[in-house]
Amino acid sequence: MMVEVRVVGSSMYKIDRHYNLGLRDLAVAVVQELKSKLKEFVKPDVVLVANAYGEAVNHQLVLAGKLATYLGLTSTALRVEAGDGSGGSAIFTAYSLLKAGIAKTALILGVEKLSDYPSKYLNEALSYNLDEEYSYQSGLVPHVYAALLMKAYMKKYNVDYSYFANWSIAMHSNAVENPYAYLRFPANMNAIISSQVIAEPLRLFDIGARGDGAAAVYLATDEISSKISDEYSKIEYVTGSSSDIDFVPGLPAVRSIGLEAKDLLKQAELAEIHDSYSIMAALQLEELGLAEYGKSLKSLDSLIPINYSGGLKARGYPGGATGVYQLAEVHQQLVGEFKGKRVSGAERGFVLSTDDLSRSAYLVYVRR
Amino acid sequence: MKIAPPSVWRIKDSLYNLIAAKCEDCGNITFPYQQICSKCGSTNVKSIKLSGEGTLIDYTVSYQAREGFEKVLPMYVGIIRLDEGFTIVAPLTDVNESNIKEGIRVKATLRKLRSDSSNGLIVYGVKFRPAEGQ
Repeated sequence: MMVEVRVVGSSMYKIDRHYNLGLRDLAVAVVQELKSKLKEFVKPDVVLVANAYGEAVNHQLVLAGKLATYLGLTSTALRVEAGDGSGGSAIFTAYSLLKAGIAKTALILGVEKLSDYPSKYLNEALSYNLDEEYSYQSGLVPHVYAALLMKAYMKKYNVDYSYFANWSIAMHSNAVENPYAYLRFPANMNAIISSQVIAEPLRLFDIGARGDGAAAVYLATDEISSKISDEYSKIEYVTGSSSDIDFVPGLPAVRSIGLEAKDLLKQAELAEIHDSYSIMAALQLEELGLAEYGKSLKSLDSLIPINYSGGLKARGYPGGATGVYQLAEVHQQLVGEFKGKRVSGAERGFVLSTDDLSRSAYLVYVRR
Repeated sequence: MKIAPPSVWRIKDSLYNLIAAKCEDCGNITFPYQQICSKCGSTNVKSIKLSGEGTLIDYTVSYQAREGFEKVLPMYVGIIRLDEGFTIVAPLTDVNESNIKEGIRVKATLRKLRSDSSNGLIVYGVKFRPAEGQ
């Protein structure tokens, strides 16, 4: 008989500059909240920690085992790392373990701290996302790739900078209603187009807001889920793809997922995508087939609800924990628990979790 | 010591010589060199030395640097279409607002990238500058 993998509970911690909290504090807080929402907290067979920058900014290894111990769990613990797509890769792994019968329950814990260091130090860590031999050594930062993709897009589709500002406006508007969001204020066109230039034409408002955060999602098989919670959504499909970006511009890894899951994506009623930069939002929406090439950000109102959390832009960007937030948000929307802007009556949604430049991409498709 | 000599020495072909891989089966070029073609998976790959000459397709000016690269701000970075047909993203040097524009010819040049400290190990590597006559 086919095993059904269910999301039986989720919790999030507000993204912010939590100078007084470490990885351990954030993890304990979010898991305690999760426990309080479940009928019974069954000790998970496996704990999967989604964290990207633990070595670089927190000087930590064996993070999963340590966090499990701090949480009073003796479960098998693994950290799954795929840069900012760590969340998606941890979900992919948890789903696979449950499907394979190796585990019946999994706690996926996303946790990251990005606000301790000023930009120039954090940019060093973020540059570990680039290839080691040339891009990293020559001093590049991921921002310049986003800026170059943006310029290529502007040329190809003949759009100006205000096109990208549409994304920031929409995300800030969504985040106002999300109690877990970092930047809960509206943004207007003037503020955006006059914000600090990071790498021309990329401005501050085009970049995900780095912060500290933690989110937890509990997965269980259909065999055991009713013991833990009566409310659940089920993970119907997961897939992933890897490929370098191209300056056409395009994201072949996301395109590949879009083609593979075309029929499912057509039926989706909401989504959380990885808008590390506003250009990435545009390219992801188009490569997934949700919007027409060159028109995504001026047709946001006609698409399915995207990033009602506020996205990385305004909910905030907690590094490798992002994908876990995204799954918690989609799950909470489907079961009617989400505390921010709601999509009422939705039955199908998905998460697109990727690294900062969408070279490693993961799709998690969830159904009520 | 932040820069370990072996970690830089072993990638000298990438940093100094622009050694790339050309797939004999599908013609795809990858840089830095790799033994397996990313496009078709073939191992029928040979190493080629890129000419270092090409055309600037587009560029950006970055105002944020990593630690150790503050002195190069503002940092010009270009997408360069090399004459072999391969596109590379690389830092530009000897450029300013008046001599840079899309479509100019550029040429690889060896420059200092960073150093461990004022008397520490220096890492050199390829950047691109406008070709003579531009």
